[in-house]
Amino acid sequence: MSSTKNDKHLEAGVKKLRKWLQGAIEVEHCTIPPYFTAWLSIIDGSNQEASDIIKSVMLEEMLHLTLAANLLNAVGGHPDLIHPKFIPRYPTTLPHSGRHFPIRIERFSKKALETFKKIERPEAKGAKPKAGEFKTIDQFYAAVGQLMDDLCDQYGEDRVFTGDRQLQIQPEDYYGSGDLVVVIGRDTAHQAISTIVDQGEGADHGIFDDDHNIFGDGGGKELAHYYRFNEIYEGRHYKKNDTPNSKPSGKPFHVDYKKVYPIKTDIDRRKYPKGSEIRKALDEFASCYGELIRALHHAFNNDRSQMTAAMARMFSLRNQAVALMRTPIGNSGENLGLDFTQQA
Amino acid sequence: MSKNYDAVIVGGGVIGAIVAKILSENGKNVLVLEAGVEGAMDPANYQKYVQTLYTEGGIRGMPNGPYPWNASAPSPAIPLMPSGTTPYYAYQTQTHFMSDYLRMLGGTTLHWQGTSMRLVPNDFKMQTVYKQGIDWPISYDDLEPAYRRAEFELGVSADVEDQQQLEFAGWYPDGYVYPMHKLPPSQVDLFFKKALHNRTVNLQGKTYPLKVVGIPVARNSTPNKKYNGNEGYKPVSAKGNLDQGLRCQGNSSCMPICPVQAKYSALRTINELMQKGKVEIRTQSVASKLIIDTTTGRISEIEYKRYDKPGSTDFKLEKVKGTLIVLAANAIENATLLLASGAARSSDQVGRNLMDHPYLYAWGYSSKRVYPFRGPDTTSGMESLRDGAFRKVHASFRASLSNWGWSGEPGNQISAMLSQRKFGTELRNTLADRMTRMVKIGFMFEQLPLQQNYVTIDNDHKDALGNFRPLFYYQYDNYSLKGIEEAIYNVWEAITGYAGIENHTSYPPSVTGGTQSILYNNRNYNIMGSGHIVGTHRMGSHRKDSVTNSHMKCWDHSNLYVVGAGNQVTIGTANPTLTAAALAVRAAEAMLKDLL
Repeated sequence: MSSTKNDKHLEAGVKKLRKWLQGAIEVEHCTIPPYFTAWLSIIDGSNQEASDIIKSVMLEEMLHLTLAANLLNAVGGHPDLIHPKFIPRYPTTLPHSGRHFPIRIERFSKKALETFKKIERPEAKGAKPKAGEFKTIDQFYAAVGQLMDDLCDQYGEDRVFTGDRQLQIQPEDYYGSGDLVVVIGRDTAHQAISTIVDQGEGADHGIFDDDHNIFGDGGGKELAHYYRFNEIYEGRHYKKNDTPNSKPSGKPFHVDYKKVYPIKTDIDRRKYPKGSEIRKALDEFASCYGELIRALHHAFNNDRSQMTAAMARMFSLRNQAVALMRTPIGNSGENLGLDFTQQA
Repeated sequence: MSKNYDAVIVGGGVIGAIVAKILSENGKNVLVLEAGVEGAMDPANYQKYVQTLYTEGGIRGMPNGPYPWNASAPSPAIPLMPSGTTPYYAYQTQTHFMSDYLRMLGGTTLHWQGTSMRLVPNDFKMQTVYKQGIDWPISYDDLEPAYRRAEFELGVSADVEDQQQLEFAGWYPDGYVYPMHKLPPSQVDLFFKKALHNRTVNLQGKTYPLKVVGIPVARNSTPNKKYNGNEGYKPVSAKGNLDQGLRCQGNSSCMPICPVQAKYSALRTINELMQKGKVEIRTQSVASKLIIDTTTGRISEIEYKRYDKPGSTDFKLEKVKGTLIVLAANAIENATLLLASGAARSSDQVGRNLMDHPYLYAWGYSSKRVYPFRGPDTTSGMESLRDGAFRKVHASFRASLSNWGWSGEPGNQISAMLSQRKFGTELRNTLADRMTRMVKIGFMFEQLPLQQNYVTIDNDHKDALGNFRPLFYYQYDNYSLKGIEEAIYNVWEAITGYAGIENHTSYPPSVTGGTQSILYNNRNYNIMGSGHIVGTHRMGSHRKDSVTNSHMKCWDHSNLYVVGAGNQVTIGTANPTLTAAALAVRAAEAMLKDLL
């Protein structure tokens, strides 16, 4: 190949890589509003296990989002969290995937858990994706890793990882579940990818992710996401020797689907008259969420210190969300839900 | 029948946990006997205590507020104690010893504030430098490496530069950084820092700066990348919830119990020991007697009462053997156990030199809004009067800046205004104006080690299991009281002047629980305890005037270590947990040599 042709091929490959990683950010983000809503719809003081489990998965999705942003920045891309469709209107489907089930903003329930399990469902190894569509996160990231490796092999690491290292979110900027990986090259990129894949789907397709040795027996954080949700669904923790095909057989725990705020599913703030109390409250929440996402966008693109501002927004967001969920909509028997969408 | 342990440790608090950790890391067999229940170790219980704090209004701010009464291993000052129950403490003097502790796995770190500052070098040589108190057998420099290890174990957040602004501060090795960066200062902190910048006070003819600096605290914050030769530090999350507690999130309800466990408690260290499975922990086991081998003087066995149901009077008497016996049960319990066993009698110092930091609030309205009631209770202090030539005459002191306005607010303000029939907008505006300007400083003072301040036991004062309850002889001497007078009528007045604070401090002679009224130079002061229980088994250079040697080994019993804040010879003005933890590190190192 001529050198221009070479350059063009590299350029096209990196462009594709960036597009996929932008897609990854969107996929990771898409799961956060529904998990956040289910988590906070649980009435404080009840369903401790369920609440902790959903929260732990949500926090890992936030980590994955940040890791995806570090990956994209590392290959010279620009994470875009402010394009108009970044925050979808729910119900939506998982972006860039071949799976078309509806994801809703709804209260904690068996039905919600079924959706969550679908989102996180692992596929048998070797299941072939259709062109341009990936059935699982695992397949998706495997493709990302493959493309990255191919480009590095052909053109050298330096020509792929051209991003500004100043933009990498550092562990001290971020706190939460697991390790934040600073991506500066091929090795760290693979490290970031396996963190995402192992937490999400389980290392080597077992039920546990890679860390389980340091945690206590059964249940909780060491499980891959699908199995964590399945624990709630079955009201029982997994034990060490349980397999992907067995049901959890560890300690049972109580799940009370009644100790949940009866929030309205997929509430659409545009349906309430401007100036009404309900509209104002929903608008305020959406605007706070928008600010949070904008703070993240700036943190990823030019100012890491915006992570702190984003953290502060997360706390106010939580308070606002609970206040909304406690508010009945007239005599409908339902309470206000959450509308994350920005287009008014 | 009974297994011989390398070490049997009495007390499952921070001291016992650190000793157990260091010994077990070195392959030793360790048993921990804990008098209290497993309690907060179970995450469900921990949450229950947090909830109790939120729902039982009357117990807010009380150190043992959320914790259950346990007659089988009672703790002092449990507000939820059933009415009619005899409290744990007994007094022989009119002045009471006001500080408490908690007997439960995790110990008093379940209600501490997390403040983790080092003593200053002159605290170790008070007699030599100021002709007051007595000198320690070790210097600050001797303890410095152990301070570093303790700061690692507790996970302390601070910036060294802040601490080194104090001319008298101890040295830190070149390039030392704390495990985590300091917590951000509050608006209240910034207000005082600005108002007192370059301001001074005069004490005993010398001028001292009024310096506000960040307080080292054992609360998770941003890890310092440079820690331990650029290795960094990994904050430890909550027991039972790995997603929680990785950073202090600024809850203003974290006393006594942090809702997310970002504040260190010994549960963290104990959890680590349990995960590794190397240490045996036996709760509901109250050590009641050390059996002394009369020919060798060694402790041959330790006798303890094991009860099945907290609160019951039934128990099984059991015994256990250890090559080493380690008392790590708090300065009061260590002393009463020694006394109950007739142990360590050579010096007649067991239980004596009982010290605490007498504590007083001063408060007022700041000239501008400082927005208190946000963040943890205290993030900065006025630390520049912790040492100086004035210590020849009176106590040194430090001042914690409170982030939580005046105590009992907004309840007190609202009821006062309602009784004046103020409602609606007026009520709201007045509250908004006053609450945002509330400032309060907590002054804490050093006490001298005195023979006549002591804890003892007698046959008339026993608990449900027949164990001795602590009996106190306690007073404040003029050294502390003179310091208090200087703090309130000199320093606080200067502060109010510089900062434009409308002073509302008053000490009426009739006081409510938790404080006692003391008259000095015709003025009244309402004094509290700090929970800083120190001195009852001090270390020293000679068996005639101290209970242990400088490695905390008992002079009279070659296999007995007595460890904790009780070893402190003087109290200085540092909250004692960090120093006690450093002493535990030092003691554990000596134990390892014994066990070679």
